[in-house]
Amino acid sequence: MTAKAMPFPKGEFQEEEDPQEHLLFDPRPREEMNQMVMESMRSTTGPFWVVVGILTLLVLVCLVGAWVYMALTGMGVAGVRRPTYWGMFIANFVFWIGISHAGTFVSAILRVFKADFRRPFTRAAELMTAFGLVVAGMYPLIHLGRVWVAYWIIPYPNSRWLWPNLRSPLTWDMIAIFTYLLSSTLYLYLPLIPDVAMARDHSNGWRYRLYRLMALGWRGTEAEWHRLRTAIQIFAFAIIPVMFSVHTIVSWDFAVTKTPGWHSTIFGPFFVVGAIYSGVSAVVMILFLIRTTLANMKYFVREEHFDALGKLILVFSFTWTYFYFSEYILAWYGGDLSDQYVWDALTKGPYAWLWYTMLICNIAIPWLTLWNKRIRRSPAMMFAIGFIVNLGMYIERYLIVPGMISRNRFPFTWDEYTPRIELVISVGSLSLFLLLYVLASRLIPLIPVWEVHEGQTAHTLRRIGKTVVPTKSEIE
Amino acid sequence: MSEGTIHLALFNAIDPAAEAIGKLRELGIQDKDMSIISSVPYSDRMLGRPMSWTFVPKIAIGGFIVGLVISLLLNFGTPLLYPIRVGGMPYLPIPPTLVLTFEISMLGLMFATFLGVIWESAFPSFGPKEYHSEISNGRIAVVFSCPAEIHNQVHDLLVAMGAEWVHRTEATEL
Amino acid sequence: MVDKAKWGMVIDLDRCNGCTVCVTACSMENNIAHVGEADAGYGRSMQWIRIERYWEGEYPNIVSRFMPVMCQQCGNAPCEPVCPVYASYHSEAEQLNVQIYNRCVGTRYCGNNCPYIVRQFNWFDYAKDMPEPLNYQFNPDVTVRRRGIMEKCTFCIQRIRRAEEAAEAQGREVRDGDVQPACAQACPSEAIVFGLLADPNSQVSHLARNARAQRLLLEELGTEPRVIYLKSERGTKR
Repeated sequence: MTAKAMPFPKGEFQEEEDPQEHLLFDPRPREEMNQMVMESMRSTTGPFWVVVGILTLLVLVCLVGAWVYMALTGMGVAGVRRPTYWGMFIANFVFWIGISHAGTFVSAILRVFKADFRRPFTRAAELMTAFGLVVAGMYPLIHLGRVWVAYWIIPYPNSRWLWPNLRSPLTWDMIAIFTYLLSSTLYLYLPLIPDVAMARDHSNGWRYRLYRLMALGWRGTEAEWHRLRTAIQIFAFAIIPVMFSVHTIVSWDFAVTKTPGWHSTIFGPFFVVGAIYSGVSAVVMILFLIRTTLANMKYFVREEHFDALGKLILVFSFTWTYFYFSEYILAWYGGDLSDQYVWDALTKGPYAWLWYTMLICNIAIPWLTLWNKRIRRSPAMMFAIGFIVNLGMYIERYLIVPGMISRNRFPFTWDEYTPRIELVISVGSLSLFLLLYVLASRLIPLIPVWEVHEGQTAHTLRRIGKTVVPTKSEIE
Repeated sequence: MSEGTIHLALFNAIDPAAEAIGKLRELGIQDKDMSIISSVPYSDRMLGRPMSWTFVPKIAIGGFIVGLVISLLLNFGTPLLYPIRVGGMPYLPIPPTLVLTFEISMLGLMFATFLGVIWESAFPSFGPKEYHSEISNGRIAVVFSCPAEIHNQVHDLLVAMGAEWVHRTEATEL
Repeated sequence: MVDKAKWGMVIDLDRCNGCTVCVTACSMENNIAHVGEADAGYGRSMQWIRIERYWEGEYPNIVSRFMPVMCQQCGNAPCEPVCPVYASYHSEAEQLNVQIYNRCVGTRYCGNNCPYIVRQFNWFDYAKDMPEPLNYQFNPDVTVRRRGIMEKCTFCIQRIRRAEEAAEAQGREVRDGDVQPACAQACPSEAIVFGLLADPNSQVSHLARNARAQRLLLEELGTEPRVIYLKSERGTKR
């Protein structure tokens, strides 16, 4: 008659999450949240300055110093040579563009899908986008043989009546990255205005002057909010296709060539998926660092956020695997000799150890761990998994850029790539990213308090039958 | 704010603020003389107010068109000014031009959206304005101007509804 | 884009014995830098021609095959559309792939996209360290390139230009035999023949129609190279 009923599972009911554990159901007075955010921004400890000092030193020596040395001496101090004319610099470039997709994914795509768990960390992710693009944008300049005439790629009227080649993917790169950087910065700035206005009201001295300037006179009138919300909506919808197009254009640097292994129609979506994959993992890493180093962040960034991001990372791991396997199976099955050379080098040749490491990092570890809720809810474990995923994704870019072009249709020219000064400059650029982030955490509130407050207003607990059910209202 | 002095009343929650607006309207203060200032956006329906307008979407479309025109000039104008044969391709191929057309148009769209917000709000404006720093701590301010005759009536009404009353506000430096 | 080849080259793989005199002559003619032992060991020699050497068979019956590969001056050159500053473009007049040295910004995209891997890059200012009196052997007709610039075989375009100017001074067209690039001039076994492919009566056109299974390198890629190889039949006779 009735379905076979199971006894009420013991202990399961107690393990049901307390809704108050979620940020959006645990509201605190706005004053208190403001104070928490302001305190996290203002309190600096001794070790903080040590870290800033080390990062600054690394930037000056490893990035600026090494780059100037390379520009004055010649590209020969790097490890590139025929036939691997592109090496670690371009792999880094693709990697950082990938990192920069995180912010747009979190703040635009999740906003469009009304996924409210994004609320506390959109700004932290958007900062990653902005600074990731700054670092990424340096690499096309770093790898140029004659960087002092790099401005010739910009289309500007000049006395020689010369224009750049707008059919070259590198010109597309330059304009696409400029578009994305400007759009991301504006998209970071617009929702920042109300929070900076809050900071203005709670500061004095140089901070007051800075925030007063940045807030542009924001008060919070209905008209101002209406305009801001409209603009943010437009940005959210518009920046998503730009995000897709930017990494597709970067992938076309490789895909439009005749190089075996690169000349693949799937590179566009493959790179975009890989970018979001590595970007979301990097967001997880940054959130862990924010939680452990800044004051009061444990209220805002909670286990539920790591849980949600962990599920996303798993989904993107599946998607990335699907694209990568498509590449591999077609080369394996289709048998074009030059493709086989390339894939043999990756899977059996000198790069095999990297290839297997990448498979473990990108496929085995996420698939074996991220299904487990306890692991997903542990920020330290998620940091480790995020780091491993980023390592695997970096290896993937490394295998594609210098790995695949070491093999071509003329076996006489085959040669491996070994990085030289690229390692130093890579360390310098990573330090620049971290330094910019650390300085930004002192200057602007990392948590969009108004969005959290708005979300908390929209979320309530409602009783249905014998239980309370979290409910979300559409107040937008 | 047409006539009379400008008053600012602070409320702790949205419900009394919305009620207060209704009551003020009954007392004859018009919608255009009232304004709500808050630290989170409340929709016009929640406040029972007429819809506020904005031109930002139209400005955004305008920016898109400007970007489109610039991209067409770049893609088709520069090869005509500087025709160079490369790779056996024609001088004015369509597929590669679509890439930059999309990018520059979107750049125009988004930049214009931002400029539209700035321009419409008359940002940056650092002169003195009606404001109270408690607003960013979660209070909701009802700013209105009323003629002097009903001043006391309005005062009593709003205090009864739970307002923290700041009257005859001098415009504060933000 | 119909094949409008003007200048072309035929390389007879039967006659090539791998002596690399063409490489030397090309280096002398075109001011190619000497990169030093360390960089040469790292694969950065800048010669514009490479003699590909393949061994076939087991000892003691080993056959060696040599194939000189230089820029094929493709009709649909893949190196051209990828240069962001138009440093590499197609000269309609000479139907050659031209490299503008002082426009190159050094992205090295053309080097990656060349399917024949014939492009070279100046990794350092090699010419600056040229010990005296080696600098006296520079050819004044050709630029000396500094660091950060891509370069490749130009079919000795300076010799083509000189021949064209001489012909114009005499009021005639360039004839077959007026122009010989350095590699063709130096080859002792006349394995490299250069001339006007556009002229059906030129020596190079005759050779190009040779029945000896002539082929273009990587023809299936659609690059339309201007260098025609005559297949070697040496190995089949053993």
